[in-house]
Amino acid sequence: MRLDFVKIFVDSTALMFRELIGPTVDVPSIAMKPSPVASREVMAIISLAGEAQGRVIFDMDLFTAVQLAGHMLGEPSPGMTPLVRSSIAELASMAIGRAISRINDCGTLIKMTPPTVITGANLISYDQCFETLVAPIATAYGEVRVNITIQDLD
Amino acid sequence: MHLSEEELSMAKAPVTCLIVDDSAFMRFHLKRMMESFENVIASEAANGTEAIREYGRLKPDIVLMDIVMPGLEGVETVKRICNEDPAARVIMISSLSYKEKVAEAISAGAKCFLPKPVTTEELRKAIEKVLSIATESRVGELV
Repeated sequence: MRLDFVKIFVDSTALMFRELIGPTVDVPSIAMKPSPVASREVMAIISLAGEAQGRVIFDMDLFTAVQLAGHMLGEPSPGMTPLVRSSIAELASMAIGRAISRINDCGTLIKMTPPTVITGANLISYDQCFETLVAPIATAYGEVRVNITIQDLD
Repeated sequence: MHLSEEELSMAKAPVTCLIVDDSAFMRFHLKRMMESFENVIASEAANGTEAIREYGRLKPDIVLMDIVMPGLEGVETVKRICNEDPAARVIMISSLSYKEKVAEAISAGAKCFLPKPVTTEELRKAIEKVLSIATESRVGELV
């Protein structure tokens, strides 16, 4: 696990959330887990490839997703509309894009895929265990868990 | 209704803008920003292929272009648009803002690069800058 990169992902995500959602965003604790902790109703997944590879999963309750999107859109949303899905995807994309830019400027070239948003309950069953750093981001609308797995290519 | 030549010259033409982003949220957000400016007409494209087609059809004054898109991504799209129309005025707007990517976008023909998230004020300044560069170069061509 590239912990130096993980720190950049956590810092960039927290900073992006503060810019977009508000200054009360906080990262109270981070923990290393044997596999991703992502079981809530809304997930945004971004894959990383290049000189290092991995995956970032944002995981949150439906209520949190709808409220975060409403904040970004400047108007409340009635539920999980296509525009809400797109807002959550873009929030994840902006956070990871910024982190990747910092890493690339330090000399390691990484690319990201466009985010995929999945909604529902218990959607993913992990048949492989990847050591994952889990950073819960506390917002005024609820918690967003950020699961980060990133390794150098050997 | 018939307008005299003087009336026609006084009527200020709107600035037309093509917003290219695969994210419905970003298209919604940028369109709202653009329409908050005076006398702007904004249209949208959701990917690079659609952008090239719409650029040819609309010949907009300004293009706002994302980079990470499925299929034809933003830098390659700019390259193709600028090959067809070297006077195209493209502003890249992306969260991928590392030096190499910015240089690649400018080399492809983009006139300006804004990292996401972009504020209304940053967008307004970028548009003014890009429009003034184009005006200066047109004056230069005429001289």
